[in-house]
Amino acid sequence: MELLKRYLQAVGEHLPARGREDTLAELRANLEAEMEAREEELDRALTEAEVAAVLEAHGMPVLVASRYGSQHFLIGPTLFPMYWYTLKRSFPLLVLAYAVVQLVSIILGSGSGADMGQRIGAAVGHFPAVALTFWSIVTLGFAIFEYGQGRFFPKLTLPKWSVRDLAPLQREEKKKHPFASGVADLIVSILAIAWLLAVPDHPYLIIGPGARILHDVPFALTPEWHVFYWQIIGLLVAMLPLKAAMLLPSLRRARGWMQLAVNALGILIMVVMVQVRTFFVAGSGISAESLHSLDGINAGITLGFKIGLAVAAVKFAWDLWKEISAEQHRGADYATVL
Amino acid sequence: MGPAIKDEAEKNNTLGGDAASGELFDSLRMELRRGCLVLAVLAQLHEEHYGYTLRKSLAEAGLEIEESTLYPLLRRLETQGLLTSEWREEEKRNKRFYRLSARGERVFGLLLAEWNGINDSVNKIVQKER
Repeated sequence: MELLKRYLQAVGEHLPARGREDTLAELRANLEAEMEAREEELDRALTEAEVAAVLEAHGMPVLVASRYGSQHFLIGPTLFPMYWYTLKRSFPLLVLAYAVVQLVSIILGSGSGADMGQRIGAAVGHFPAVALTFWSIVTLGFAIFEYGQGRFFPKLTLPKWSVRDLAPLQREEKKKHPFASGVADLIVSILAIAWLLAVPDHPYLIIGPGARILHDVPFALTPEWHVFYWQIIGLLVAMLPLKAAMLLPSLRRARGWMQLAVNALGILIMVVMVQVRTFFVAGSGISAESLHSLDGINAGITLGFKIGLAVAAVKFAWDLWKEISAEQHRGADYATVL
Repeated sequence: MGPAIKDEAEKNNTLGGDAASGELFDSLRMELRRGCLVLAVLAQLHEEHYGYTLRKSLAEAGLEIEESTLYPLLRRLETQGLLTSEWREEEKRNKRFYRLSARGERVFGLLLAEWNGINDSVNKIVQKER
């Protein structure tokens, strides 16, 4: 019976102190009764292996003990949908608030902005810790609420609601105007290309009359821009036939793939921008402090494009996966119809 | 679970398809059994039983239930006021005997009516399948 004692001891380690002895005494009585019944069947005493088999069949001590405890929720099933909704809705706001605060801090920060790239990198690197802290606080808040309801204040009752108060069908609204939004996108793209083509000869188009200021600053666009500029123009022009084709009803089924192709061209533009690295070069008579600032500005812009490229690549992979899945479903539906 | 049901389940697991559908079946079966077990235990405790004999009597009726599920369930039903228990010596051993409380009787009556209603409805619905 040493095995039984050891088993009960192991179960007892995981039971709450209150009622532990009572639970173990009952468990012992039941297990002994089971072993005695087995002995009667066999008409002999159980071997150690047979005792072990009975105990092992009863279950792992920690699991057995856990079943005697009441069920605990950090956040229960009633509150969980609201917790999840809060997280989903507040996360974009957190990102926005953090970005604004960091941007203001970088702009107003001491120094000349020489280490802007480093500061942007530090701000991005610090975000996971901020997001984790935010998640912990929200989770803790809901867990405290879950614990407190029924103990310190009345249980949460769902508010009365009416189906008439629900938001209008936004998706349906969007679906009504895919052609109009497609045409608007095409027009804006053409205007953007025209604007880019006009800027070199008409620099006032960049910031209007403020272009004069550019003449006074001690730095200028890198000469390499001529190469990258035409690459970007080429990619933007390549998007136009795709965007036009997406408007054709006969190509409706391939619209998703054409949108992916447009997105891929957009990623290529980001790749070009990342390769630029030096956007501005020093002009004559630049001070050492301004030269340092220039390095920071170039590094900051490059980092910004790298982050943008990473986000765009992930988004592209996700869209591609969705399109492939949708295509498979379409194929399956087609096969079913056949 | 009765042997016939168990055999059918095993046949479905092996013949019916992959491991995933077997897991799904197990999970759905557990869900289906959970409420039935409470009803069966309450019904059986019109007569006094201690844990082991209750398990045996349920098994003899075709409803096998693991000890590690049954014994904590008895505790929970007692905490909810549906059972009463007392320690008593039997065959030179102290054992905890359970039986239905007055409240348990009332709740059992309601649950049984509900069970019969569900059973009749489901039988009607699945009759076409037979």
